[in-house]
Amino acid sequence: MSRVAIVGVGQTRYSRESGRSEWQLAVEAISNALTDCGIDPGDVDGLVRYSYDNVDEAMIVRSFGLKLRYYSQTGFGGLGAPATLAHAYAAVASGQARVVVCYRSLNGRSTTRYGRAERSLGTGGGDLIATGDRAPSGAFAGPYGMLSPGQVMAMWARRYQWEAGLTEDELAAAMGRIAVDQRAYARANPDAVMGGRPLDQAGYLAGRVIATPLRIFDLALETDGAAALVVTDAAVGPRPAVWIRSAIQGLIPYAESIATYGELRNGPTYRSLGSRLLQDADVKPADLVSASIYDATSVSVLLGLEGYGIYPVNGAARAVIEHGIGPESPLPVNTSGGHLSEAYVHGMNLVIEAVRQVRGESMNQIPRSGPVLVASGPSGLVLAP
Amino acid sequence: MARADVPTIDSASAPYWEAAREGRLMIASCGACSKVHHYPRPFCPHCWSEDVHPVEATGSGTLYTYSIVYVNDLAPFKDRLPYVAAIVALDEGPRLMTTIEGADPGDLQVGMPVTAAFRPVDGDDPDSPYLTVFTPIKEHA
Repeated sequence: MSRVAIVGVGQTRYSRESGRSEWQLAVEAISNALTDCGIDPGDVDGLVRYSYDNVDEAMIVRSFGLKLRYYSQTGFGGLGAPATLAHAYAAVASGQARVVVCYRSLNGRSTTRYGRAERSLGTGGGDLIATGDRAPSGAFAGPYGMLSPGQVMAMWARRYQWEAGLTEDELAAAMGRIAVDQRAYARANPDAVMGGRPLDQAGYLAGRVIATPLRIFDLALETDGAAALVVTDAAVGPRPAVWIRSAIQGLIPYAESIATYGELRNGPTYRSLGSRLLQDADVKPADLVSASIYDATSVSVLLGLEGYGIYPVNGAARAVIEHGIGPESPLPVNTSGGHLSEAYVHGMNLVIEAVRQVRGESMNQIPRSGPVLVASGPSGLVLAP
Repeated sequence: MARADVPTIDSASAPYWEAAREGRLMIASCGACSKVHHYPRPFCPHCWSEDVHPVEATGSGTLYTYSIVYVNDLAPFKDRLPYVAAIVALDEGPRLMTTIEGADPGDLQVGMPVTAAFRPVDGDDPDSPYLTVFTPIKEHA
């Protein structure tokens, strides 16, 4: 199998108001990632970005004077984070590119706020804005006030509660444990936006209800910031190489939307994708040292833990109530604080934390060496030293 | 005032919205494989046939999931808080996004039987599209 590694990571400061353009943020994050691995921009020949990113390839090409042989995009929001690395992995393994940069840049608080449905509705106003068939905000969802990701993921949480046979208090205990444990990780992370704000279960329960059963602490932050990673075919630079052992970029009916027309993200098709990802890496769930699981909302972590086979279907909530996701738990998750407490860079900061764990450089380093999972719905990676 | 609740209607979805104005819930049925789906599409998602046509659903179903939404600063929802957003599983199989009316939000239960009703998106607009909403089926003694 081809050997492809993540050799550089870079980010900007994470804030609620960067005061800078998304272009500037992207250039800073990419520049930091190249510095991290000591690769000259002249050696970069590939770029992968989110289709949602406002900073296009040509802007990066002219910022750094790049000469590209390869570029590509990944769709559907947060599914794109592991998927950008999957593209880079394929491009490098096939020889289409030698050094690929993956990036995401967004002024997610000061400009386009996903929590206010501004990604899907736009900020320009106008009446006829519930359009298409995607949820949130499509013509079949928007008229009912399902306009933002949190409003739809509240549906997931209520359904999961019912399928798992949980009381409302048990669901809150499980989701609260995720929020509390991720906040505890953020306390040690100087980059975390919420690092200075301790949270306990009582504080979680006292949080404002946004859309039942979700409270404010169940929802991802909105952040201004950018993150970038550098992928190539050899261990280069001063940092330990992080090898990509397997990647999957799945799309199944309704995965392109966050609607609940199809199966929940612990359903059989998701479990099949998750199982294939680990099998391709020759890794069993028990082998994983830590995981980055996409946490647009806390319930996504519960569903991801089941979708990737860490816990049995409908078993994650009780396991999390008992063990949490902290450093002593069977599988520590989102050890930077994640989207709930570090920053929301649309999944890219979660990939960077997985890289730090494999390198042994996390602020919340898990003191074991081994494979680390990155999971975002039907897209995922297994990274290893 | 811009509203965030007005659906965009296209050729594939027009029969659904037109029937809702007349108090009927249409789902899509495939002439080739006889399976039904919702939302309406130009192709059958099961066998890819273009021989799809609207058929009337019974309007009966069960509450698949729901949320009571407390935060939304977009019109007209900001004046309706809290409101109920819901997904109903129709007896015919497909699910649809909707709301539940005629019930105390605190009494909602996943799995409860519901039936369709219809009302305009904008009660002040005679040309307004009509939404499919659901109400609990009252238990008769």
